[in-house]
Amino acid sequence: MNYQPSLPEHNDNVTHQHPVREFFILMAGVLGFVLIGYWALGLFVDVAVDYLSPEQEARLFSKIDVNWDFGEEAMPEEQAKLQSLVDSLAPCLALPYPITVSLVKSDAVNAMAVPDGKMVVFSGLLDAVSSTNGLMFVLAHELGHFKNRDHLRLMGRGIVLSVLALLTFGGDSGFSDILASTINLRTAKYSQTRESQADHTALHALQCHFGHVGGATELFESLQSQEEGHAIGFAHYFSSHPELQQRIDDLHKFAKESDYAVKDTQELIQKQEEGSVSPL
Amino acid sequence: MDSLIIFLVLLALGFVFGKLAESRHYRSIQTREEMLVRLPTTSCKKPMERNIPIRHAELVHGHVVISVDYFKQILAGLRNLFGGTIQAYETLLDRARREAVLRLKESCPTANEILNLRIETSSISKGGSGDRVGSVEVLAYGTAIYYQQASSQHPSP
Repeated sequence: MNYQPSLPEHNDNVTHQHPVREFFILMAGVLGFVLIGYWALGLFVDVAVDYLSPEQEARLFSKIDVNWDFGEEAMPEEQAKLQSLVDSLAPCLALPYPITVSLVKSDAVNAMAVPDGKMVVFSGLLDAVSSTNGLMFVLAHELGHFKNRDHLRLMGRGIVLSVLALLTFGGDSGFSDILASTINLRTAKYSQTRESQADHTALHALQCHFGHVGGATELFESLQSQEEGHAIGFAHYFSSHPELQQRIDDLHKFAKESDYAVKDTQELIQKQEEGSVSPL
Repeated sequence: MDSLIIFLVLLALGFVFGKLAESRHYRSIQTREEMLVRLPTTSCKKPMERNIPIRHAELVHGHVVISVDYFKQILAGLRNLFGGTIQAYETLLDRARREAVLRLKESCPTANEILNLRIETSSISKGGSGDRVGSVEVLAYGTAIYYQQASSQHPSP
């Protein structure tokens, strides 16, 4: 037996295909599947929410002990006043259950609709609006979320998204982040339509309560003047709330279509002698 | 968003440095293989030169541990979902096997022949799901034999 020293000319044990191409094909496949799954399950959530009666919702959340901890409720007096404002709006919206307001001390200019009939208002909001009408619009907007059951829809979609990310890639892989940010665009879009629907509901409620819709765009205008100079080109794609100007225009258009009058608003802030500002 | 950026940066770093390390390693493998091609290394159990008495025989081994880069790890993870050949790991194993055999040969440069070559692979990726290390260890071992006539070292073709 003779030994022939030689090396193979080609390496047949490795595939000479570009890995980046493979990466993009596989990634597109995964994201495609997940998006289709998310879309289908999102539709399912919408249907399920429509079938879920308020009584069932209350029963469901009474069994789940969720600790909604948004911060300290430090202003019982203002909270009681907000509660009475919300209560006075409720008949206009025909909500199936009472809403409890929780006023949280925070600089955030925001309010939230949380399952189990809880509305969280951040105290920064009280400084950002100057009239009762403006404040009422924001409260009515959140009540609109309850009426349209958006708190359940968004929570349902959130759960779908987390489960999809977990099932597809496992809890702590980098894929979950890609998925979250890809789908975030879609959620934001979905959420934008829900937001403008809640705006419309709020406008109805404002008209029903005051007989006019003055002050509806007050908060957006005040936020807009704060934001000027901070505009970032693509930010609005990621924002779940439609861009402020768009929302203002939309509200004006809707008020005009519905023949709602715009009248003077009621002053909200009373300046006290010591110079401290007490909202409401 | 932050974690997405970190992920993409890691992916790019993994790709670039993985690619560099791989091509450097392949260059080194090729030159060393050419240098050592004249040392017969077979999986035969008996020496080729049956008539020459054997002076000395010993167990020789070479082993190497190589890791994949982040990019290939992710690519293989994606491939796991769909099935098919994991091309991303092919070069890893190819390099590891050839490197292990080269190290085995380099450990006995004066041997006349290496018999009964065996290669074993084990993965060292059995860590928790959190910080998995996609590495392989390849162990090559065989019997190096030395003939009594020093002149017949490396029989010519």
